[in-house]
Amino acid sequence: MAHVMLRKTARTDTASAPTAVIIDKLSKKFTVPGGGITFTVIESVSLTVGEGQFVSIVGPSGCGKSTLLNIIAGIESYDGGSVTVAPRAGTASHEPRVAYVFQSPRLLNWLTVQGNIEFVLEAQGVPREQWQPRVTKYLQMVGLGGQEKNYPLNLSGGMQQRVAIARALAIEPDILLMDEPFSHLDAITARKLRFDLMEILGRAKPTILFVTHDLAEAVFLSDHIYMMNTRPARIFKEVEVDIPRPRKPEDSVILDLEKSLVREFFSVLEGKT
Amino acid sequence: MTAQTIRTVGLRAGSIVALLVLWWLAARLMHDPEALPGPIVIGNTIAEDLVKPGPQGESAFLHIGITLARIFIAFAASMLLGTGIGLAMGLSRIVERALLVVIPLLLTIPTILMVFLAVMWFGYSEAGGLIAVMAVVTPYVAVNIFEGTRAMDKSLIEMGVTFKARRPLLIRKVYLPQLMPYIFSAFRYAFGVTWKIVALAETFGLKYGIGYMFFFWFGQFNMDQVLAWIIMFVALMLILEHGVFARLESRAFAWRHSLAR
Repeated sequence: MAHVMLRKTARTDTASAPTAVIIDKLSKKFTVPGGGITFTVIESVSLTVGEGQFVSIVGPSGCGKSTLLNIIAGIESYDGGSVTVAPRAGTASHEPRVAYVFQSPRLLNWLTVQGNIEFVLEAQGVPREQWQPRVTKYLQMVGLGGQEKNYPLNLSGGMQQRVAIARALAIEPDILLMDEPFSHLDAITARKLRFDLMEILGRAKPTILFVTHDLAEAVFLSDHIYMMNTRPARIFKEVEVDIPRPRKPEDSVILDLEKSLVREFFSVLEGKT
Repeated sequence: MTAQTIRTVGLRAGSIVALLVLWWLAARLMHDPEALPGPIVIGNTIAEDLVKPGPQGESAFLHIGITLARIFIAFAASMLLGTGIGLAMGLSRIVERALLVVIPLLLTIPTILMVFLAVMWFGYSEAGGLIAVMAVVTPYVAVNIFEGTRAMDKSLIEMGVTFKARRPLLIRKVYLPQLMPYIFSAFRYAFGVTWKIVALAETFGLKYGIGYMFFFWFGQFNMDQVLAWIIMFVALMLILEHGVFARLESRAFAWRHSLAR
């Protein structure tokens, strides 16, 4: 399978790697419209993502993980703390480029696959002469070479999500945000996509902040995991995943880590309610 | 052509032929060519009108051309303005609140009164006709497009904003494609109303045009010519509607037809 092409070492090297994202004591309150009732959605969340790292945030559904990603993407406001996204080392200083892969593909069905990727390239002001090479490169990377002229609705759900991943990679982001990108897919397609994502990581080396409620998925993919509980969202544990790549979801080290995290996770969650 | 298009074309041709036959039968039975001339007489009248100069020396094509130009200008102006206003209402709460009061007011005024108003303000002029059309059609188009902006998929707009797409790009690639069904339904209505108002304005006082000729022959009480001009007008509008708009529409929705399913 494809994942053998991955580097043998773990990607983590926190000591020397420059940081791509620093979130410091971030908090967000939400006021019920008209009611005047305010509650805290996110409470003093701090985390860092090193450049080229794959960092996951695991928490129950509806705990404010998506809100956190939206804040990093700059489409939602926050009330306290700070969010810093740094441009990749070696690139000229520019507005940080943030890419997003949503739960559903969110493709523009009236544009071709190529048109969908060009849409974000145009949005990001990428020079036109780079469009074609980037479309070709990233479609090939997600295994959709030759689908340029096809329309999204002709593709399966898994393939549509691949287009969404290619679209996000095509802007060569400083940070790639992924919000439960495989949760809407059937188990077999999701598994295949996870393997392929691992392979893509070895080639494009993006920095990823990945949100999921699936601990197994997080352990399999991540260098570093933040565990979050709900109401308000707060980080209660950090785990370094020091398992060499390539990984297999059924490896005993992975299963063991997953088991111990699951135990901890639920003891915290159930202790709360 | 696929078997299906042959069938639809056949059905349409068949129903037109059936209508002509009914007309011919009715004319035969009534036997009063002053009140209801048969289709053959009218066909000959139309053919004559098209080749010979009219009663005041102008060719029929001049009148047809002028009517078409008036329709096209009024239609394009109200479509553009209406789409712009509808989009602005969808994108800005302030514009929405301001116009949601005014537009229903405009929509309540009966079309024919609007034509009279325009004539009283602007006289029997090209501007009067244009303004009458715009006053009637623009609010309708705006309301339709505004409804369309409400039905837009917010998650796609959010996607665009997340990737830092600016307004013009969003409008081109995210808003307008989603508004297409609304634009086309407004399009059909707008076109229908436009040509009715233009015909009315021409009948009431504009110089030249199909409506003008219609009124001229009405004054002469010439039933053959009145019917001939009505039929020319209807035929022209049907050709435009089915020949031009249907084609534009299928091009705009090409992405749907391309689906394998």
